[in-house]
Amino acid sequence: MMIQAVLADDEVLARQKLRQLLREFPEIDVVGEGATAEETISLVRATKPDLLFLDVRMPDMDGFDVIGELSTAGAPTMPCIIFTTAYDRYALRAFEIHAVDYLLKPFTLERFRAATQRALDHIRSSKQNPEAAAPKGPNGTPYTTRIVFKSKGRILFLPVSEICWIGAEENYVRICTQSETHLLRETMTHLEEKLDPNTFLRVHRSSIVNLQYVKEVRPEVDGEYGVHLLNGQKIPMSRTYRSKIKNWLER
Amino acid sequence: MIMHPLLFISGAVSLGLLFALQEWIYSRSWNEHVRLSLLAEAWGVQFFIWGVFCWILWWTLRSRIYTANFKTMLCLFFPLGLFASVLEEVIWVLLFPRLPMGRPPMPFLQRLLFHLDVELIDSLVLFWSAFFLFRGIGYYQSYREKERVATQLQSQLVQAQMRALRMQLNPHFLFNTMNSISSLMRIDVAAADLMLEQLSRLLRITLHRGEAQFIPLSDEMEFIEMYLAMQDRRFAGRVRQQMNVDPHVHDAIVPTMILQPIVENAYAHGLSRLTSQGILSIQASSENSTLRLSVTNTGLGLRSAALRASNGVGLANVQDRLRMHYGDNQSFSISELEDNLVQVVVTLPLRFPERPIEQTTGYGA
Repeated sequence: MMIQAVLADDEVLARQKLRQLLREFPEIDVVGEGATAEETISLVRATKPDLLFLDVRMPDMDGFDVIGELSTAGAPTMPCIIFTTAYDRYALRAFEIHAVDYLLKPFTLERFRAATQRALDHIRSSKQNPEAAAPKGPNGTPYTTRIVFKSKGRILFLPVSEICWIGAEENYVRICTQSETHLLRETMTHLEEKLDPNTFLRVHRSSIVNLQYVKEVRPEVDGEYGVHLLNGQKIPMSRTYRSKIKNWLER
Repeated sequence: MIMHPLLFISGAVSLGLLFALQEWIYSRSWNEHVRLSLLAEAWGVQFFIWGVFCWILWWTLRSRIYTANFKTMLCLFFPLGLFASVLEEVIWVLLFPRLPMGRPPMPFLQRLLFHLDVELIDSLVLFWSAFFLFRGIGYYQSYREKERVATQLQSQLVQAQMRALRMQLNPHFLFNTMNSISSLMRIDVAAADLMLEQLSRLLRITLHRGEAQFIPLSDEMEFIEMYLAMQDRRFAGRVRQQMNVDPHVHDAIVPTMILQPIVENAYAHGLSRLTSQGILSIQASSENSTLRLSVTNTGLGLRSAALRASNGVGLANVQDRLRMHYGDNQSFSISELEDNLVQVVVTLPLRFPERPIEQTTGYGA
């Protein structure tokens, strides 16, 4: 299945870089490049791409205007959007309109690869199963599937599936993925409410684990239990939460 | 200073009542029976009028009083004083036609002259007392104003110095990194790319902070993590980095860029000279009401570093800023724990922000 993409950026070098990096993805076919918002809009209407790389600041309108224009004009399907910009202040807005990712210039090949891969997965899954809905929480709102935050000078649209475990540190929580940790100003309780309990389990007052990354639960020498993750990390479990994990194990 | 009209009038009237009391006691001692109420009325009204005059004087001519030289006093305030005294007497005489007592009824002008004869000097004294009192208040106020401006200037100066000191830190680091990128570009494009991204992230954090003098420790540590990631690249994993921050002090506020120069120094004078594996350890903890930050690194020890005598700008800068922010409530020490293990310890008052730190996490699909 070929995926069609449009690149929108007012700088030719920026478009060139995108084109060059996209060579790694033979399944992506760049069907056009727009240097202005106007051009981009007509290009998207004409080619109906699956994926749009969009700069926020362009000479005539900004990237959000482009999206507004496209969605009001009764476009059949909105393309997946990856923002590429030098400004970090539009990240929340981008997140709210369900952009796939937000790349801060300059970005590395790895970062670009991850964003594009994410977009491809998204496009494929929505083509195969367009009516898939996120699991709903007790009050009817769906559980969060992504978290947006600033960490170490970057914007991250982190899919919760990439979180291995979460630890409490006073007024903060530390979110640990396979490769990195991020300190967020958040409470465990609030976070626990947002996360799907079928995947995320509170095992301790100060830790939540993603069950997808759990290798085993085994008793320790002191009679307590410990949760061992696939990457070898060990997280202590407290008595009060043990029955919960037992229930889950017995399912 | 609040100069409400009531203040003038009540002050003046109470002064008048005191005079009335004095005259009453005086007349009693001479066995003359004058009713106290009459005296109080006469004196009270007279000083009430003066109170109103003083208030008008304050309202309209305050600034002229502050700045008046001898000529203005002679040409403006002297005639004004005479005029006010006469006017006051005119009003008063109109209000009390039966005074002075014990004399045959007199026409208005005669009564006025009679009272003026007795009281003109007193009235002038009253006028000039008010004049000099106001002038004194003016001096006091301008003195206070000058003092305020001076403190403001002082703090602005300190701010400017801070800015200058911080500027010395950044370019130093910036150019070194650019140089690393430039060298990496020829041998490892992906690594150069990564370093360029990391540098941009560091700059973004710095720009985002703007002019803030203080930041939460967690922000400073975030910056340090970024910095360490870059150094790790430059030293190709030769240095083992350990960070240990007590969760209680994540929110503690520290001066911006207080750790980075120390860490930079650890690399410049210690870790970069090692040929074997080195260790860098950063600790943050609290003891009572002090925050303790320490940076420990392996290296060639203090003596060889001292020989180079170039601990220079970075550390001196940190010390200067600590002193400016906390006076004597801080400490900075550099010592050799054991052979070739150097530790820098900074202590400063443990403080937390008054307003909660904003939360910028978003959730969604």
